[in-house]
Amino acid sequence: MRLLVVEDDISIQQFLKRALTEAGYLVDAASTAKAGETMALEGIHDAFIIDLGLPDLDGLDLIARCRSQGSSVPVLILSARRSVDERVKGLEQGGDDYLTKPFALPELLARLRNLLRRSAVPHNESVRLQAADLQLDLVRREARRGDHLLQLTPQEFALLEYLCRNEGRVVTRTMILDHVWKMRIDPATNVVDVHIYRLRSKVDHEAQRPLIHTIRGVGYVLKYA
Amino acid sequence: MPENLHATAAWRISIWTTLAFALGTAVAFSIVYFLVAQGLRERSDTWLSGEADVLAQVSADTPRDHLYQRIVREVAELATQEVPDERNARGERLNSVFFLATDPNNSEGPLWVGPSSEDAFVTTIQRSKLVPGAPQSITVEGLRETFRVVVKAQNGRTVYLGLSDRGAKRMLHRLARRFLMVWGGMFLLGFLISYWSARRTLLRVERITETVARIGTEDLEERLPEPVNSDEISRLAKTFNRMLDRLQSSVNQLRTVTGGIAHDLKSPVTLIRGTLESALCNEGNEKWRDSVGEAVEELDRLLQLLNTTLDLAEAEAGALHMDRGPVDFSDVVRQLVDIYHPAMAERHHEVTSDLEAHVVVDADLLLLNRVVSNLFENELTHLPMGCRVSIRLHLHEGSAELLIEDNGPGFPPDIGSRAFERFVKGKHSPGHGLGLAFVDAVVQAHGGVARISDRAGGGAVITLLLPVSVLQAA
Repeated sequence: MRLLVVEDDISIQQFLKRALTEAGYLVDAASTAKAGETMALEGIHDAFIIDLGLPDLDGLDLIARCRSQGSSVPVLILSARRSVDERVKGLEQGGDDYLTKPFALPELLARLRNLLRRSAVPHNESVRLQAADLQLDLVRREARRGDHLLQLTPQEFALLEYLCRNEGRVVTRTMILDHVWKMRIDPATNVVDVHIYRLRSKVDHEAQRPLIHTIRGVGYVLKYA
Repeated sequence: MPENLHATAAWRISIWTTLAFALGTAVAFSIVYFLVAQGLRERSDTWLSGEADVLAQVSADTPRDHLYQRIVREVAELATQEVPDERNARGERLNSVFFLATDPNNSEGPLWVGPSSEDAFVTTIQRSKLVPGAPQSITVEGLRETFRVVVKAQNGRTVYLGLSDRGAKRMLHRLARRFLMVWGGMFLLGFLISYWSARRTLLRVERITETVARIGTEDLEERLPEPVNSDEISRLAKTFNRMLDRLQSSVNQLRTVTGGIAHDLKSPVTLIRGTLESALCNEGNEKWRDSVGEAVEELDRLLQLLNTTLDLAEAEAGALHMDRGPVDFSDVVRQLVDIYHPAMAERHHEVTSDLEAHVVVDADLLLLNRVVSNLFENELTHLPMGCRVSIRLHLHEGSAELLIEDNGPGFPPDIGSRAFERFVKGKHSPGHGLGLAFVDAVVQAHGGVARISDRAGGGAVITLLLPVSVLQAA
């Protein structure tokens, strides 16, 4: 997978390049819209990551120019603006996505994966998820740890399903709220943590090895450690 | 058309002008009526005096023979024929005139020409003790009209000539009736014209009000149309436009400044956060993991403070980017109750919610989510363990009313009504004092009201009122 990052802030560009390379992507970078456009039109990238505040052209105009020249590569927009204007929301409906700065790295990676998956051939949704000895039946909404049937509320099941789908990857509190409850809020209190504690007490209770781990300052990860 | 006609300025203005107009014309008419009545009386008095002189002369000059009565009667009857309106529509005589001549020396008794009810007239005349000279008024028993009577005495004979005021009365009556008809017409026409012109003028003011109200809540780009002529209302529109220009430029300035701050601060923070985060996601180095985690958490708190401060500045200046549409408020509250319920239960709060289904408001979904979550955060941070929290949502007089009630300690008395101001918070409150200020600013930007009050029996009540969407009203 090859990505193009168009970002004028060199330090952020370098940081993104490093982080994305570590995550296993090939990364090209440009600092201006002009250079970005030239590289984008080579047609060798699977996704673009474009900052809105470019020195020579607005990021949205750059996207429009790429689109008008036939490029249909999915775009992840980075914005320092807090309230995202309607044009960006419009893009979101068109299949692209946006992220406001500062973002958590796991969220950037998750959104990127999502974009790349959307552009790929849709694969069959499985009805079962499995992580170590945890099994989820998505049709009957049942979860088992080993032979033990877990008594979960619908919410807890949705939360566990989300963690399970991201097995081994860190998810942030914001991502959890966005995916499980479809809420883009930023609570200062421990609301999400309480949900996780409760879920963990059911999933990891009596188990030899815990599945749900807290990464302090970042979020949570489900993995068999 | 306004819902309540009586409350409009156009209605009041036209009522007052019409009343003044009606009063003026009524006074003018009264003067005319009085002058006409006086003129009529003068005319009839002149006629009476002249005729009485002639009749007295005739009666004095005619010898007292057997022809005397006949001659005088004929002269008198001739005189009565000069009177206008003497015959009614069917041609019958109305006997508006009477003539009486008395002569104490004459054995034939008084001479009478006039209505058949002679006795009534004679008694009245005798009782009235009329004096010769100027005309006087008498009222005859059994007849409605009054008579003007002139008395002439000559050679020992007394002559009485009377004229009924019936003709004058009828003429005045006709005049009054016509006037009333015209007056009524003028009244109605005057009212319609003044209402129409006042309404036309005030509709322009109304349009300005509507446009300014819309501009105030939605789009600062819009301007009022400025008519070419320069009357008071056009000047009002121009003044508003100048004001909007200044407002827009300061809002734009604010957006530039907040955008600049956001951008300049966020890039380095993104970088710091990202670097720390990649370190945290790597295995090993358990020794400093906690310190780094703490640093990231503090960074997040700093960002939250920064974001809320900037949002608040924009919201209070009316510069928030809002993307409003119909939003199921019930759904929003239910979702957030779901999210916050476990955290509340963790603090042993007993949460009850009573939410009316499908209360639709016209709002920005993301902002509304944040408003309601801020309120729940507020409950979570400020209540001591084991309180009761009741969340209710229902339609109330065309508004969506959200009530969050608790039996906690309530707002500290020194905060009271200032709870919605920036950085106002209790001494022991862990928050930054921006949450409720943000709630208030966003609710106001949506045309709603946020209120706090003390709950009867201790605790606090937070009330949000948001106008319901037209979809709900339909």
